[in-house]
Amino acid sequence: MSADPLIHVKDLSKHFRAFDRREGIWGSIQNLFVRDYHTVAAVDRIGFTIDRGEMVGYIGPNGAGKSTTIKMLTGILVPTSGEILINGFVPFRQRRQYVKTIGVVFGQRTQLWWDIAVIESFKLLRRIYDVSQRDFDERMERFNEILGIRDYLRTPVRKLSLGERMRCDLAAALLHNPPLLFLDEPTIGLDVVAKEHIRHFLRAVNREFRTTVLLTTHDLDDIEELCHRLMIIDHGRVLYDGPLDQLKERLLRTKQIKCVLKDRAQVAGISVFSRDGLVLDQVDPLTYRIRFDRTKVATTDLIRKILAAVEVRDLLIEDESIEEVVKRIYAGEATFEVSL
Amino acid sequence: MTTATFTAEKHGLAAVGAAVQRHSMLLFDYFTQYAKVQFGYRADFFISLATSFAATCFQLGFVIVLFQKIPQLAGWRFPEVLFLYGFSLIPYGLFNVISLNLYNFGNNYIIEGKFDRVLLRPVSSLFQVLFETFRIESLQEVATGVYCLWWASRRLGLVWTPGKFAMLLFFGICAATIYMSIFVMLTTVSFRFEDRIGVSPPVWNVIAFGRYPLTIYNGTVQFVLCWVIPFGLASFYPSVRLLGRTVTPEYARLVPVVAAVFLTAAITLWTLGSRHYTSTGS
Repeated sequence: MSADPLIHVKDLSKHFRAFDRREGIWGSIQNLFVRDYHTVAAVDRIGFTIDRGEMVGYIGPNGAGKSTTIKMLTGILVPTSGEILINGFVPFRQRRQYVKTIGVVFGQRTQLWWDIAVIESFKLLRRIYDVSQRDFDERMERFNEILGIRDYLRTPVRKLSLGERMRCDLAAALLHNPPLLFLDEPTIGLDVVAKEHIRHFLRAVNREFRTTVLLTTHDLDDIEELCHRLMIIDHGRVLYDGPLDQLKERLLRTKQIKCVLKDRAQVAGISVFSRDGLVLDQVDPLTYRIRFDRTKVATTDLIRKILAAVEVRDLLIEDESIEEVVKRIYAGEATFEVSL
Repeated sequence: MTTATFTAEKHGLAAVGAAVQRHSMLLFDYFTQYAKVQFGYRADFFISLATSFAATCFQLGFVIVLFQKIPQLAGWRFPEVLFLYGFSLIPYGLFNVISLNLYNFGNNYIIEGKFDRVLLRPVSSLFQVLFETFRIESLQEVATGVYCLWWASRRLGLVWTPGKFAMLLFFGICAATIYMSIFVMLTTVSFRFEDRIGVSPPVWNVIAFGRYPLTIYNGTVQFVLCWVIPFGLASFYPSVRLLGRTVTPEYARLVPVVAAVFLTAAITLWTLGSRHYTSTGS
């Protein structure tokens, strides 16, 4: 961590006053006159710093407080308490100056004008953000190169596919060359190719302009391909903040070995590997999968035993996927290990 | 918090001048952007123009029918009333050109969370909400108002000097500012209470009271129309001055002051209110 982080967040909280709705028609009538409220801490005393040029993934189950955090960082919401200092600005207090230094993309919503050609939106955004014509032309040229948006600049936004629209939204968010980019689920609903396109662009932007990127996502491939650092939030608290590799190191418990047997004669031999904490499944007639806890069983020992017992044509050792890990964290099974 | 943002912008007259210039240019840009959208839906435009004009005609028709039954209304003759009516249509039309988003604010911006996007742009949020859509067809109200003034002036033998034209323009803008400020203040309620419709519609109906001579109402109504929801003040006193009639007391001088006070109050309330914006769940 350098001495001067780009984003500085300390003890940040956001409480919402929620209204307990009564059920049924009689309940609705009561709701008209009497309302009971309770306070919900959507974000609860979180703190972190992010350096210039970092790409950070911010994940958590639905309702964990991700969006609320992003909305406070972008100046949309006023925090209940705590400090935010980004690039020398307090977002909600110096909103108009601050938003000139950030780009924001909400995957679920477009910021382009729905009914008119994409280029018209870009032109108006150029005026709103006071970008010079020269910078504008230069950047549009560059966006065309990496995003390939030239072909549909004249199409109305409502006629674009989701992938095309997302590319345009990204270009729109970067038109004023902000040092900081917030992405809220940038790949939601996209197909594999479109996702790859967006990731490629984000990597290029990060490399070329040293743009700092904070992204929320439900697609862990986004994180694996883009971010070195990961923050996990749940119930408004940060559960984990650190390198992705370290999280894996700490949490990957289960490993699996897939073996493709040489012939049917070996099936009897493999069946012994369903004891002593090993889990054996048959994938197809000759392929078997053995899962085990790597903290209890040494992988090399197990391989040696397998090779001694049966003749195999192929052997494949796999880690538990990051999805599985995150699923365990969300389910509250791994809270202790995460916060070590 | 709000004073911080205000003072940051008031660094001398030059800064104010630059801000005015920037916002005028943006207003033009927003308008052309909206016009481009509208031209994509031509039929829509002509239908709204026709319905809006029909509504104006019905309201005007009521006044005309009324004066076929009675020669005078508390000392006001038909051409005079029509003059007042015509004048009030001008600020009303001007305000209506930008009123659509205020009317739909609770629904479109708060409940649907569109206000998020507004807050992400380096332009005043009120400016964006007012000028993101226009009701161009409401300019027919201004045109109808001008026609009424012209017709009434001919019947009354009024002479229009350049000074009078300037006065008409000035008071028209002041009155439109008052109308707008009142509805901006009412709209800020949506920041606190998430209701789709808001409190504007009943107040909308009060505008109609301001079209007739204030002196026909009793003291309480007059007071409300002058100092609480000053639709009456905004259009009655300026048009009486243009008409050349004398009324006591005469409050035309106060119209620009009230406009300034209401506008300041509206902007302040808006800024305070937007801090209560809670956005949507996702």
